[in-house]
Amino acid sequence: MNRNLKLIWNGLIPENPIFRLALSMCPAVAVTTSVENGLMLGLAVVFVQVFSSCTVSIFKSFIHPRIRIPAYVIVIALWVTVIDMILPVISPDVYKKVELFVKLIVVFAIIISRLELFASKEPLVPSFFDGMGMGFGFLFGLCLIGAIREFFGTGQLLGYDILGFNPLLIMVLPAGGFFVIGFIMATFNWFEYKITGKIPTSGGAH
Amino acid sequence: MKEIFKITVSLTAVCVVASLILGFVYAKTEHARKLNEEKTEQQTIQGLLGYGAGEKIPSDLKVYPVYRYVITSDKGKTLLGYVLPIKDNKVVLAEMDLSGNPLKIIPITVEPSALSDKAKRDNAVNAVLPKGSKSLYAQTVFVADMGGKRLGYVVPGVTQGFKSFIKLMVSLNPDFTVTGVAVTSAEEDPGLGAEIQKSFFRNQFVGKTIELLKKLKVVKEPLPPNYAAALDPAKAKAKGLTPEQVKEIKEKHLKDNIYALTGATISSRAMTNGVVSTVKKFVYRLDKLNEAIKKEQLSVAF
Repeated sequence: MNRNLKLIWNGLIPENPIFRLALSMCPAVAVTTSVENGLMLGLAVVFVQVFSSCTVSIFKSFIHPRIRIPAYVIVIALWVTVIDMILPVISPDVYKKVELFVKLIVVFAIIISRLELFASKEPLVPSFFDGMGMGFGFLFGLCLIGAIREFFGTGQLLGYDILGFNPLLIMVLPAGGFFVIGFIMATFNWFEYKITGKIPTSGGAH
Repeated sequence: MKEIFKITVSLTAVCVVASLILGFVYAKTEHARKLNEEKTEQQTIQGLLGYGAGEKIPSDLKVYPVYRYVITSDKGKTLLGYVLPIKDNKVVLAEMDLSGNPLKIIPITVEPSALSDKAKRDNAVNAVLPKGSKSLYAQTVFVADMGGKRLGYVVPGVTQGFKSFIKLMVSLNPDFTVTGVAVTSAEEDPGLGAEIQKSFFRNQFVGKTIELLKKLKVVKEPLPPNYAAALDPAKAKAKGLTPEQVKEIKEKHLKDNIYALTGATISSRAMTNGVVSTVKKFVYRLDKLNEAIKKEQLSVAF
């Protein structure tokens, strides 16, 4: 497989930010009460991750290694603010929906960890695809959690009534987020154990 | 020593470049963003008055903004100043003291159309005030007339939400019964507090009279399913409720308290307090303003 495609695949499943790396768990629990919320936050993360990865990858030789973390934070904050300013001009309707999510992204662990682990060492093109992979992996994770929580918590999917009643209200409350993420993570680990025969090691949650 | 110098220069350079980019983007987008905000505000007001997206706005619907200023006079007294549109396309600044006694009526030389620009309006107000006085913009309320008759009022309000402020707009009919509530900006948690923007929550306020509002509380009870359906126009349609049935259900629940959102009692309370205090304050102020207008025999445009 082409390396770039591999990077995207890597972010989606083998190194999924939520289920395998266990990074950015706070937003993953907090906003995934419905598929739509997950989708909106996921899209915003894709943009910020790709832009930040590319910026850091281009300018990595100018950033002094001892101040790389503050410099990365500035880069992320810069892109978040730029999106926050441009989006209401381009498309006010979309902005109304993602407004709440865009501002949250500055402090996401997944973005700064990809800048530190990948973009600061690799050239532009792989960094771009790594950013895409991680962004879409995050989006996929949020949508999956959102779908499960929305379906069991409110009996709906994407806002459409399916069951017509609430089977398990706890799923839309914060506690439900922990349950769902725990179950999906366990499923991922179980599959990996079945395929490779090794007990998976875990990442560090943030 | 040499390294710390390098680090400082490097970090400063990063910050300067970032701020330059931000400044450039801000300058390029500011105007368009302001226009969009104004447009959204207009649409919100029209929506609250019953002319939402897609509906034709009648030509005899007129919305007059009334701007309230807090004025500190040169003697250090706090006064209120209302910028009022009067007949013949003129504008006056009506000063009154805090208990509502009218003091002075000062004509302002400015086109009514230029008033919506805050900077121009502030300048115009400051220009007619005596030296040493200061004015501070407080609020804009909108008075809507339809064909010479009063249609209602649209009043903005602010309330402390779960994390930051919730900005809302309440529309009232001439008897001060709530006809609509809109949330113009809020940063409540998505999926929990952000549900205050959903119509099934907002519409619970509709139809509440000023007497009902004064006693209004938030109850932690589940919203009755048929009431929930009646409150949400899309749901009512899906359930096949006729407009008469919707009206009947709403009337049955008219005296109910506000049903709190699941997992967002604080946001529900904040909204309720916000709506109630916005309406109460507005009714008090309008009463004083009408008295003053009568006393001074001002021929206001609305």
